[in-house]
Amino acid sequence: MAAPMSGVGKPSVTSFQKKTRSKLISIAGTRPSVQNGQLLVSTGVTSLDYLLGGGLAVGTVLLIEEDRYDSYSRMILKYFLAEGVVCRHELFVAAAQDNPDDILQELPAPILDDIAIHKPAEQPRLSSEPQESLDAMKIAWRYQNLPKVQSALASSCRFGHYYDVSKTMEPEIRQAAKFHRFYVPEHPTQSSPTHSTMPESYSALLKSLQEVIHREGFDLAAPMSNSRNILRIGLHSLGSALWGDDLCCHDNPKNGHSLTTFLYGLRALLRSSLSVAVVTVPSHLIQDRALMGSITRLCDNAIALESFKGSERETNPLYKDYHGLLYVRQIPHLNCLASKLPDHKDLAFKLKRKQFTIERLHLPPDLSETVSRVSRGELSGAAAVASACGSVTSGNKHLDF
Amino acid sequence: MLTELLQGADAGGFVIIQDSIRCSGRHLLKSFINAALHREEAVHVLGFEVDEEELKDGVKGSAIDRVHFHNAYTDPLGWTDHPAFTVHQFCLEELTHLVKQSSHSRPATLVIDSLSWILRHRSPTAVCKTLHQLRKGGAVRAIIALLHADMHQKGTEGSVCHLATSVITIAPGMNGDQAVAKITKRSKSGKVMQDEEIFNINEDFTVIVQSKLGPKNTPTEEKEVDPTANLTFNLRLSDTERKAKEKLALPFVFSKEKKTALLHSGPGSGRILYEPDSNDDYDQEDPDDDLDV
Repeated sequence: MAAPMSGVGKPSVTSFQKKTRSKLISIAGTRPSVQNGQLLVSTGVTSLDYLLGGGLAVGTVLLIEEDRYDSYSRMILKYFLAEGVVCRHELFVAAAQDNPDDILQELPAPILDDIAIHKPAEQPRLSSEPQESLDAMKIAWRYQNLPKVQSALASSCRFGHYYDVSKTMEPEIRQAAKFHRFYVPEHPTQSSPTHSTMPESYSALLKSLQEVIHREGFDLAAPMSNSRNILRIGLHSLGSALWGDDLCCHDNPKNGHSLTTFLYGLRALLRSSLSVAVVTVPSHLIQDRALMGSITRLCDNAIALESFKGSERETNPLYKDYHGLLYVRQIPHLNCLASKLPDHKDLAFKLKRKQFTIERLHLPPDLSETVSRVSRGELSGAAAVASACGSVTSGNKHLDF
Repeated sequence: MLTELLQGADAGGFVIIQDSIRCSGRHLLKSFINAALHREEAVHVLGFEVDEEELKDGVKGSAIDRVHFHNAYTDPLGWTDHPAFTVHQFCLEELTHLVKQSSHSRPATLVIDSLSWILRHRSPTAVCKTLHQLRKGGAVRAIIALLHADMHQKGTEGSVCHLATSVITIAPGMNGDQAVAKITKRSKSGKVMQDEEIFNINEDFTVIVQSKLGPKNTPTEEKEVDPTANLTFNLRLSDTERKAKEKLALPFVFSKEKKTALLHSGPGSGRILYEPDSNDDYDQEDPDDDLDV
């Protein structure tokens, strides 16, 4: 399957150009969904893309309910932003606890092929390398110079990339992306805004988002030009006390509707623009389950993470291969009657160095001696005592041959 | 892990000692104060619950002048005309001013006794904001706070502990003077470490850790079984046999020149273009990786 190459400095292998239909906007890093034709972007985690039906539809919100120590939800947010950098989308990051610049510094490094897009210094290295690497492979030496990853396409043509968590993204790649930020302590609020329905931080964030969308031309109402791009919005830990919201602090919050109003406004903004948002909420602190339910309904996609760290499940041998459980709370049905939910409900995730895998959790077969079977052994044991000719000992109760 | 925490909170650290009515955490708080004084730091104490003498009892000699006690015990809500320190002064500007004017060049540790008191009179969001700003501000090096877990709603307690880098939960131990500490520590890289220890506090407020109960996930050690042992045939190689194996000329092994000529094949050779789709979520952990061919 040939595809157009857009790598810089790479000789084009084929002159075949895919004939794009004029109706679909072709933006780098997106593809139309096979189910309902929506434009999809990758979340950065390929297994999560598969669960959400191929990817995240442009104009929707993904809600991630954080795990207890906010390690894995933060990781998924970083994957999402890193995917945006690799696909040359624009980024908007809002956070209350950490500076958005710090979040950007921690993005994982993409596993790119050995194509010298950003590092021209790599090419002279290739010629000197064969001298020492010829001894490296004794039998399979023909494969030495081939890149380790099978695909030889330039990375921005692919949908969904892999990242190496142990390394951070190089500054050159990171700075190539356009980045907007919103850091709550930089927007001081006036004291005692008790009369408003939303804490000032939420309304300031909405205003900032609207302004960025309008200024940078992500509005769908703006005239269609050839070069459209997607805005990726990452909102970290919305609803926590640092946003000025008492949703997590009180059992009956005073402004319980502030976050829901904000999400309503956010979704309206997204539906009319070429953007996609990932919101993380510390749901383990929210005591009101009904409120959590309405927050879930207001977002399109919703998943919840539960990490095993610190809970009694950590030592459970069933869960030893995984880092936590993942629950898919909601999948949207956009322009269709019903959506395709994942077949299996028991999903577990594991953060490996080069991949965040989400797998189906299955119980191993129970081979222990105490497995409950029809206790014929007890009956025969009682009979054996009476007849005194059986060799039934107390340990072999369950084995009857 | 308790001794590490006592010996030096890293800069920007926020330790919460959670106690309950069954077991008081004030002794551990005093141990933290003592440890900070040992490190030649200035300690600022916001005392809401006990008065100055009781808190300073046990601090030895010369270190006393490095303890700055801000008296919020006598008049915390400002009912008289000249309150020493009120709960309304718990905000960034006042606290920074307070810390800067008394400790000149030393790193300062802020000890809050107790955070529960402040949470009852100020909104939790304001308190969280102040604590967060204090941590990032740089006026204080570390913050240690006492929190009474049974005084607050779960959400409030959870929100405040979410901000902390380390949370020590104290429960009564088996003997009278022993207590069990469950410690959760979050490092900057996002790693979470947990531990459970039994400890004892002496007269001079030094902490002795008796034993460690945790961490719960102790890895079971499995002995490596040598697969080539106990067989009726010999699978091992002696040295001469290994040398002979390496000397063996393999088929299709070419000389270096021929190899380089073949490797740098000219343009126009076939290339395989493959785009992995969702079914090829490839796994680096190849089970055949350990075949030593």
